[in-house]
Amino acid sequence: MLWYMLWYKVWLESRTRFLISLLGITALCVLRVYYGMRGAPAWSLSGVAYYYFVLRSGQQLLQLAWVVAVTLLMMGGLLQEKTNGSAPFTLALPVSRARLMSVRISAGLIEAALLIAVPWAAMYATAYFSAPALSVSQVLFYAVLLAGGGAVYAGMSLLISSLVEGTYTAPMISAGFVLVCGTAPRELAFMNPMDFMNGHDYMGSGNMLAGPIPWAHAAAYMTVAALLIVASVKVIERRDF
Amino acid sequence: MSAAVIETAGLSKLYGRSHAVRNLNLSVTPGRITAFLGLNGAGKSTTIRMLLGMIRPTEGTGTVLGRSIDDPAQSVALRADVAYVSEDKRLYNYMTVEQMVRFTSGFFPGWREDLASALLRRYELPAKRKVRHLSKGMRTKLALLLAIARRPALLILDEPSEGLDPRGVEQLLEALVAQCAEGTSVFFSSHQIEEVERISDQICIIHQGRLAMDASLDELRTSWRRVDAVLPGGPQPHDFTMRGVERLRTRGQQMSVVASGNVDAIVARARESGASTIDVTPVGLREIFLQTIEPDSIAEN
Repeated sequence: MLWYMLWYKVWLESRTRFLISLLGITALCVLRVYYGMRGAPAWSLSGVAYYYFVLRSGQQLLQLAWVVAVTLLMMGGLLQEKTNGSAPFTLALPVSRARLMSVRISAGLIEAALLIAVPWAAMYATAYFSAPALSVSQVLFYAVLLAGGGAVYAGMSLLISSLVEGTYTAPMISAGFVLVCGTAPRELAFMNPMDFMNGHDYMGSGNMLAGPIPWAHAAAYMTVAALLIVASVKVIERRDF
Repeated sequence: MSAAVIETAGLSKLYGRSHAVRNLNLSVTPGRITAFLGLNGAGKSTTIRMLLGMIRPTEGTGTVLGRSIDDPAQSVALRADVAYVSEDKRLYNYMTVEQMVRFTSGFFPGWREDLASALLRRYELPAKRKVRHLSKGMRTKLALLLAIARRPALLILDEPSEGLDPRGVEQLLEALVAQCAEGTSVFFSSHQIEEVERISDQICIIHQGRLAMDASLDELRTSWRRVDAVLPGGPQPHDFTMRGVERLRTRGQQMSVVASGNVDAIVARARESGASTIDVTPVGLREIFLQTIEPDSIAEN
């Protein structure tokens, strides 16, 4: 019952942001694929140009929107509640801070994963019904890149929202982090989650991702994300409210 | 007598170089209504939040219902038996009243659905309305409902009557007395001395982070007196430097003493000094409170 109630709270708290993000991103991706292909010259609906329109531009749009959405979804939590004034009520419940955080983090990660899965499924379906079908392996490749690199943004947003008070300060700092990653020099691409997400280093001929899926690199980013998440929990556990 | 519901020993909280709470030794008796008084910034809210594990003490220890406030696991366990109504009474803006009740009930196996429904009607709370659209008074009533329906062993409230209209205040005071009658210990902070005087059994006053007074209201009513005297020869304040004199004011031939005890001896001293008239009257809690937080006014003119 207790777990159920914590999930219930997190869902009520985040559902508006999540559903708007999900519908908005999915609609954008679908339109991008649909009109991208319709607007393309006839010769481009196969081979290289096809994947350029459908996959690469779809992924780039999704990547940008996803990072923004997940940054916002990971805001909130006890520090935000402190700003709103509801933290004393939450902290007076017979629940540990770690448990409160674990439900919020789990819900955030599930929502983030759905923000990858649903738009990609929608792009796949759009392509399937309006043009030549996409390659499932390419879709999976992009999804892994997005999840691996994106986990770092999710973890960093969580940490920032655990450290910084104020309704706007934490999102602004998170946006700054995204900006720094987006403008980092190419020499640092191996450690830049933004570069990992856009798949630049794995691009083969014809703008198609080539080679095996970089599970190790994705796992490394996820490990960094896990460390950021653990740090967030520790910060919240030690903080005065 | 059974063990104290709240017990602290040397409890302190330091913010930088400033002491919010300093070496606080508090003992709250079960089954009573205990008022926790103090000026703004005296350390009331900080103390309460330390008791509930929201703030970590810099020094000292404490127990609530026999469980340590320092131990995270025990802190979680004690919160199952404690209800807390915070100063702001802020709840979740995105939930409706009904959702708040459903959400809170899930954490307390002893939740009284019948009582929650009765209070919902009594307080005229609109079940379908979002919390963000409630007035402060309604929010306070909802917070009170959520606290009472869980049947706590200890009810802690931080300035509960703030923002309530007179009818709401009456409902609040009635609810607190009823809770106490059912065996719940009540510990509340307030600036409303009249309300405190009406329902409290025990008075704790905190000043500059320290416990300045811990006494029963009956005891205060019995022992504290004002002695007004007219001394034709002019009052000599040093004659009244004696036990029990908390404050002495003089104006011309008039002398006014606020005493926390030893009244007979003070009256006798006034007679010895040639007082033409002597009046002894009770002292209200407001004056006792003000005197307790301004103890350096022994001889004022």
